[in-house]
Amino acid sequence: MRTTARAIVPIVLVVAISLFVEGHNLPGGGFIGGVLTVTAFGIVYMAFGLDFLERGVLGREVDPGKGPSRDRVVLAYRRLFAYGFAIAVVSGLAPLVFERPFLTQTFVMLEGVPIYDHLEVASALAFDFGVYCVVVGGLLTILSVVGAE
Amino acid sequence: MSPDLAVVVAAVALPFVAAALTPLVFRVFGERTGFLGTAVALASFGLLATQYGTEGSVALEWIPSLNVALRFYVDGWALLFAMLATGIGALVFTYSPAYMHGQAGLPRYYAALLAFMGSIVGVALAADLIAIFLFWELTSLASFVLIGYYTADDSSQYAARMAMFITVGGGLFLLVGLLLLSIVAGDVLGPGAAFDLATMLENPDTMRSALRERGLFIPVLGLLAIGAGTKSAQVPVHFWLPNAMAAPTPVSAFLHSATMVKVGVYFIGRVRPMLVGEEWLFLFATLGLTTMTVCAIMAVAATDIKELLAYSTASHLGLMVAGFGFTSVYGAETGVFHLLNHALFKAALFLVAGIVAHEAGTREIEELGGLRHDLPVTAAITGVVALSMAGIPPFNGFYSKELLFEAAVEASHHHEIGVLGWLYPAVAVFGSIFTVLYSLRFLSLFVGERPDALGHVHRPPVSLLAPPAVLALLAAAVSVDPQRAVDLIVQSGLEATAVDPHAMHVGLPTSYSTPVGMSAVTIGAGVLAYPAYGRIHDGVRAGLEAVPPIRANWWYDRVVEGLSDEGRAFAEWVHNGHLRTYATWTLAATCALALTGFVAAGAIVPTTMGLEVTVPIALVLLVAVIGAVAVARADTHIAGILTLSILGFMIAIFYILASAPDLALTQLVVETLVLVIFLLVVEEIPERYEIEVGRVARDAALSVAVGATVFVTILVTTDARPDGPTEIARAYAEQAVPGGGGTNIVNVTLVDFRGFDTLGELAVIALASISILTLIVMRGRGDASPAGDDGSRADSTDDGPTADAGTDGGPSGGEDA
Amino acid sequence: MTAIVLAAAVGALFALGTFLLLRRDLIRVVWGLAIISQAANVYLLAMGGIAPATADSVPVLAGHGDHVPETADPLVQALVLTAIVIGFGMTAFALVLSYRVYEEHDTLDVTELGDRE
Repeated sequence: MRTTARAIVPIVLVVAISLFVEGHNLPGGGFIGGVLTVTAFGIVYMAFGLDFLERGVLGREVDPGKGPSRDRVVLAYRRLFAYGFAIAVVSGLAPLVFERPFLTQTFVMLEGVPIYDHLEVASALAFDFGVYCVVVGGLLTILSVVGAE
Repeated sequence: MSPDLAVVVAAVALPFVAAALTPLVFRVFGERTGFLGTAVALASFGLLATQYGTEGSVALEWIPSLNVALRFYVDGWALLFAMLATGIGALVFTYSPAYMHGQAGLPRYYAALLAFMGSIVGVALAADLIAIFLFWELTSLASFVLIGYYTADDSSQYAARMAMFITVGGGLFLLVGLLLLSIVAGDVLGPGAAFDLATMLENPDTMRSALRERGLFIPVLGLLAIGAGTKSAQVPVHFWLPNAMAAPTPVSAFLHSATMVKVGVYFIGRVRPMLVGEEWLFLFATLGLTTMTVCAIMAVAATDIKELLAYSTASHLGLMVAGFGFTSVYGAETGVFHLLNHALFKAALFLVAGIVAHEAGTREIEELGGLRHDLPVTAAITGVVALSMAGIPPFNGFYSKELLFEAAVEASHHHEIGVLGWLYPAVAVFGSIFTVLYSLRFLSLFVGERPDALGHVHRPPVSLLAPPAVLALLAAAVSVDPQRAVDLIVQSGLEATAVDPHAMHVGLPTSYSTPVGMSAVTIGAGVLAYPAYGRIHDGVRAGLEAVPPIRANWWYDRVVEGLSDEGRAFAEWVHNGHLRTYATWTLAATCALALTGFVAAGAIVPTTMGLEVTVPIALVLLVAVIGAVAVARADTHIAGILTLSILGFMIAIFYILASAPDLALTQLVVETLVLVIFLLVVEEIPERYEIEVGRVARDAALSVAVGATVFVTILVTTDARPDGPTEIARAYAEQAVPGGGGTNIVNVTLVDFRGFDTLGELAVIALASISILTLIVMRGRGDASPAGDDGSRADSTDDGPTADAGTDGGPSGGEDA
Repeated sequence: MTAIVLAAAVGALFALGTFLLLRRDLIRVVWGLAIISQAANVYLLAMGGIAPATADSVPVLAGHGDHVPETADPLVQALVLTAIVIGFGMTAFALVLSYRVYEEHDTLDVTELGDRE
């Protein structure tokens, strides 16, 4: 189980992130990327337990005497989705500065980027990133809280 | 000359701003806040005074798309009413600090009083139907707060509820009437004038004939009359006004004599030019005279000085309504002039009653007498205003009552009204006799012998005496030179309310005429009957007690009690705490409604099939249904969960077959997560399985009904579906690259075209997470206290019951977001 | 015939969901909710039209050219995508709520919970 997890998790994460980045043009996007990322974390959790997740991924010291250490993990997740929500809202507010309606999106073409040759950077990506963060943060919160029981 | 928008808006807004600031101001000034209220009222008064002589409407854009504007119309009638409200407001604010000394909750009192004053000014000046309605209901709300000022007192709460129930209920009738009016006006005068009362009043004949054409004249008249009648305490809903005397006396003086109750009268005067006619005469003259007589008799039966004044107020309101009801110019003169006179003498009388109650410690008429020895100044004030109320010449009340008699006599000259032609004047005289009676009774509190039981009576402070004195002086001034008051104030009000205004003249009669004779009869009979006051008083009371259904209040109690009992019983029957009861009724009702709707619309004739479903899709759906059956039949939780995810994965395959890769991906991953979470939760819960066998049949029947409804709905809707992609889908597909810069149309739709929806969805996810977090982490088990910045919040709920922690989830979600 | 298959399938899902919704076991009530929301999603998507799965019908454009093929309704898909994620959040919340109810009251019997009020 652990061996499989070691092999699978990075792949899932990479796929998730590529789904997220490519989402604008190919199937994928913030939702799917986010949910898939959560799945990756879920696998880690099931294979190694929550403490590993906290030590290994978040780089925190776990105080063994403190009982279930869920709260700090949860806190990190909660921050993530709070920030994600903020990103989404701010990216929505940004067009207001340019006197465009709320949530107006636009895009620019970047030429000569390695590998991709030319890459479109849509401002919608920022909003999508907010979506991604909220989904990851929110669902992970649910998962870890329930899992910690 | 047209009015100045800024000044008018400032005059309306100032009291509201002051009301909002009251709690802060009160911290600094304490009980002296009342004097600041005086300053605010005087400022509004001054602002309005600068508009004296102007006429016209000014507008502030509000909801342009609906043609609703904050439109103000200034003319003599509006200014008269608004300045009365602010002027008397100033006096009441001066009076309040001494009267309300040492009471709790004064910030609330002053804030409500200020807001009330602003609403009255708003009603008076508003020319937009919506604005009128809003200000109208605001006065009811402020009145509710003020009547229920003594929150610990049951009778005060009862009275507040009653006043709210009746005046707000009446306001709803008014709203319907106003909307009908606006519909007609929108048709006739153009959409721009749909809510504009000023324009309607400029074209009264067009409006009247348009209303009659559509058969809406009588409904509109009736609805507006109900609104105005409830507000102005007309029979049969007059009973809320005496109950409202549970309010502090300054409130009674301000709201329930001088201003709020007159809003109805004011509004009747306002729409009078537009709706006047024979029906108008029958309705308002009858209503007004009935109220005038019934309430005058009730006032004689009163045992409490405030009760006496309250019934007398209702009676005088009846007089004003009757005055406006008579279609001749004398009618309008009565209404406008008496509005002014009544405000002067009745507010003063209430303030006097407040002084008596405050200084003598009782309001029982029986226990009071001979107060002139202790309260000489008050006695002098009362002399002027009580005789004015009685309508004794040469006091100001006489002139307006004389006009009423004249209007009543004139009525038969203008319309063919048969027996009513002499009944109206007769009733007016009959009611006025009682007015004379109770006015003399009130005056008698100050003359005669002082009862021994009456304790020491203090001298009132100047701030209590000055306001009624000012009012009495004004009343005296009007009495001495009524023509000047008419020229200055009444004439301009008359022009707005009368159909054919002309220069108005009043003065003491120099030769005999029918109205003079009527006045003589009234005063003579009143004075002659006064010695029998005690017997009349007892007789009326005995009659009321013997037959309770005579009293409108009895009916009110019966209806309200009946309704709340019925409501409670119904709630217990419907709301029995069982989920299945709610679900059953909701689902059954939905099914019944949907199917009935289809049948009624004749939609159940699926001729063509709108959808092509391929064989693979059919197979996948079949497996999904089998999965669902397995879920329903599952013996254990684990089995159910596993079969549930079979269903989920089948749906994912369905998405793939239906060309929706994004959905399929999401569905797959979500299904996995759901499986994990279900397993995690279920692992904590022991297996239990018990079903009442008897209910399965009923549940199955309902399920089949729901399924059948859905089946029919799908057939009907797919049949009605337009062929090919919809316009919006087409547009999104074409705009995806040029507009959103992405080739995945679904994603572009989510983050770009419909970004706002997605934002809302994020909020839902965030809320769900926070709720779960709160449910689990902050349940306050007393074990390891959570670290980090949420520690304090968790600690605060530590001792509380867990259910509370759950409800905290919502608000905290808002903070975090 | 084919539309009847779809209608019958969704109708059956709704019926089974309703049946579960009326059970006394709170967990089964949650299942009922989940099934009904799935069925509703299918119904929604079907309303947008079910195109036979071909390369053109997938609402992902081949390139940035001018050619815009006839695709399945992308709006409905976006709608359903949102619905799926929200449905997940709701299911999870309902589950945790059930769990807490069990912790507090030591029962998952809806009728018993109702009678306790």
